[in-house]
Amino acid sequence: MEALQSRPGWYVIGPLIGLIVVGLMATINQRIGVMGGYSNVLERVTGRTSELSWRWWFLAGVFGGSLIWRLLAGQSTVPNGFGWLTRTFDSDALVIALLFGGGILIGFGAKVAGGCTSGNGLGGCSQGSAASFSATATFMGTAIAASFLLRAVT
Amino acid sequence: MRGRPLGIRVAAILFGSAFGFLLSWGQFTSPDRIRDMLLFEDLYLYEMMFSAMAIGFVGLRLLRRFHVRALISGDLVSWVTERPARNHVAGAALFGLGWAVTDSCPAPIAGQLAQGVWWSIATMAGVFVGIEIYFRWQERPVRSARREKQSVSAEPATAQR
Repeated sequence: MEALQSRPGWYVIGPLIGLIVVGLMATINQRIGVMGGYSNVLERVTGRTSELSWRWWFLAGVFGGSLIWRLLAGQSTVPNGFGWLTRTFDSDALVIALLFGGGILIGFGAKVAGGCTSGNGLGGCSQGSAASFSATATFMGTAIAASFLLRAVT
Repeated sequence: MRGRPLGIRVAAILFGSAFGFLLSWGQFTSPDRIRDMLLFEDLYLYEMMFSAMAIGFVGLRLLRRFHVRALISGDLVSWVTERPARNHVAGAALFGLGWAVTDSCPAPIAGQLAQGVWWSIATMAGVFVGIEIYFRWQERPVRSARREKQSVSAEPATAQR
């Protein structure tokens, strides 16, 4: 489907995502969050918890929804290589190592901060949480500064 | 959460699917788009994020204002917020660094994997390791505190609560 291959206006996607934030609260009274799904399945696998919560099913949904988009659009959003990493480094092993290391920072950092871009950024900010505002401002600021730095040195 | 586990699961899957679909369509799953966003070369993702927050902010306030009960779980829509603490800022700084290196965050990583972008396996593996490190770090002080208690106390079995 060609319509899916290019982005619609932000004023289409953004508000619809906002409605998902509201919908989760309106149906199951839960703050949107994706990090919790990863954490939940890890806790289940390592025996820290005995059950898979709604968070895991939400993450499974994110996977499923992306798969549906991929099948309908007939293309991926990452057709060649992987962004600046594969453009900058020839070694696949190095790119994999950087992705893995960055992933550790994402997992550990989100657990410490109590949420990721969706949990703190979308959910917490929608709830008017000062903690989430501070976390969101910090990760946006750090990511912006780090991106400019990375561009400067590579 | 009370009752209706199946309904809760179905809601989580449906909303999650919609979220994954929209993130993919908006190309939030593309590392190039994320980098363009972080370098201010493309404002689309900011507009998308902030409009989502705005709708969420207003919507949640309406739900609370009109004392809406959650349709499936049945409880009154409510939430508690936290004050900013050191952990929110320190954790978010690490998170931001990881975001800038990988140009991915947790939802897009799952989206990339679903789209067949195999690089995301490395990022996802890192995320799980990072969470595991967090849990071990959290669990350690408890263990060592208990050990201290035992070594201090003459009667470890009865001295512990």
